Amino acid sequence: MREDKAQRQKRIINIIGKEWKSTFSNLNSALFITLLPLLITVQALIFIYLAMKFAGAEVLVKTLLGKGMENWLTMFPALGELPLIERFQVFFFAQFPFYLLLIPVMVAVSFATFSIVEEKQERTLEPLLATPVRTWELLFGKALAGAIPSLLITWFCAGLFLTGIIGMGSGHLLKFVLNAQWFISLFLLVPLFSLLAFILGVIASSRANDPKTAQNIAIIVVLPILAIVGGQLIGFTVFTSARLFILSIATGVLNLFVLRVAVRLFQRESIVVRWR
Amino acid sequence: MSIIIESFDLTRKFGNLTAVEDLNVRVNKGEILGFLGPNGAGKTTSIRMLAGTIAPTRGYAVVAGIRTDKEVEKLHEVIGLLTEAPGFYERLTARENLLYFARFYHINSDLQVDKYLKKMDLWERRNHKVGTFSKGMKQRLALARALVHEPEVLFLDEPTAALDPKSAREVRELILKLKEEGSTIFLSTHNLEEAELLCNQIAVFRTRLVILDTPYNLRNSLFQRQAIVELEEVDDNIINKVKSLDFVLNVGKDGRQLIIELKDFDNNRPELIRCIVENNGKIQSVFEKRHSLEEIYLTLIKEGGKG
Repeated sequence: MREDKAQRQKRIINIIGKEWKSTFSNLNSALFITLLPLLITVQALIFIYLAMKFAGAEVLVKTLLGKGMENWLTMFPALGELPLIERFQVFFFAQFPFYLLLIPVMVAVSFATFSIVEEKQERTLEPLLATPVRTWELLFGKALAGAIPSLLITWFCAGLFLTGIIGMGSGHLLKFVLNAQWFISLFLLVPLFSLLAFILGVIASSRANDPKTAQNIAIIVVLPILAIVGGQLIGFTVFTSARLFILSIATGVLNLFVLRVAVRLFQRESIVVRWR
Repeated sequence: MSIIIESFDLTRKFGNLTAVEDLNVRVNKGEILGFLGPNGAGKTTSIRMLAGTIAPTRGYAVVAGIRTDKEVEKLHEVIGLLTEAPGFYERLTARENLLYFARFYHINSDLQVDKYLKKMDLWERRNHKVGTFSKGMKQRLALARALVHEPEVLFLDEPTAALDPKSAREVRELILKLKEEGSTIFLSTHNLEEAELLCNQIAVFRTRLVILDTPYNLRNSLFQRQAIVELEEVDDNIINKVKSLDFVLNVGKDGRQLIIELKDFDNNRPELIRCIVENNGKIQSVFEKRHSLEEIYLTLIKEGGKG
């Protein structure tokens, strides 16, 4: 039994190792996975810096963002002590964990589609399924291979963003930024969205024959993220800790549902006979 | 000899389409079975069922003592499969590819990979990306992958299809070497010469098994053995004298050759020759007409099609 477990672990580690070697030996996918998250983070910092420096709080308050800020203030009355410009800074900084969800989603989709479509294009799945590897081990190994770098990069970008805040001379605002929402998003929503994106990537890849098509199908998961960020910015809604927690549970349930679909598609027989 | 592959009414349907029907085969340990059939006959589906990558709709098979539909992972420890398309990660090197597959087995993967890279004459190219390999090299690498865990049974699905003649010959020589080493091989092929050269038994298949026998028995069961007598000159007198012999079934003429069907090829031949010589026939050579496997195959497929 113990030997079986050790053998299973060995097989999963083997899959992860190969996935990384294969993905990072492709310049396009390597750049996409490493550079894109950094660009997203730096872009957010630049946007906030420019908005604060050139637009000014009085201008921002007259835009759609004014309503969002107003809602935010009712949630966090302590912000009322701060000057208007700093209130906006905190408001923007606090959106970042949601914006950050784009990173694990894109990395996971990219990993899933590159990895599975590559197997289809190279016709490696059938010889692979003739080895003692279980199909769930293959799926799990691929999921971990995508999830590990995706989470690490996301958390690295979160750290980079916080460093950026300090660099902008707003370190004293961190106590308002690092609230429960920030942590729920980073440590609950990020892994759940990452998994959802990966599974959708697998489902899309079972139907598509090139990574681009698969990504176009799977990227649909980006839409709810944009809705969260946009909804909060314009004051349509505020994601309180409770709401975020409910969203996490809903995402978890959705994950279970799509996982069932993916596992059904990822059966040895389906792959050998139907995947073309 | 012990039976290592045995199937019992193995059947596979895809919706209303029957790809394989009631396949019953037996292969002894150390033998090569040639699985011959036209495109779309169900050869790949049969191999997939025997190799446990798809399940039968009805019937079952036992390979190396393991039910192929029940203990798939255990089965995959003891079989090797060379799929129709070799299928490699083109951006990885030959060694990286082999190591990846080898690590799924309970073996010393580094040792085994190096052994088979050398055996398949790929050692010099071990650190080159597979994307740079020729079709022949990829096929040799695919053979190495199928053999790396030293399986008890090897399934080869059209190993020389789409290869140039030189590469096909190289692969064939490797299979011949495996045969000499006592491997059990289930070989699906289109190439009749290949089947004749390599196989102990031949199964002609078209959705269902048409026949399964040795190449020698196939010839004898389908065609009457014929003696070809080459003469300096053929005249009607000799033909008539030969025809009058009671053990002669049929006589044909092709240039200076008489093509004669005998009741008992081995025992009637001396008397036939005596008759020709007594009637002033000057014999230049006597030999047996060998029907090519192609003739046998085409006849069987035609008969199978009628059925």
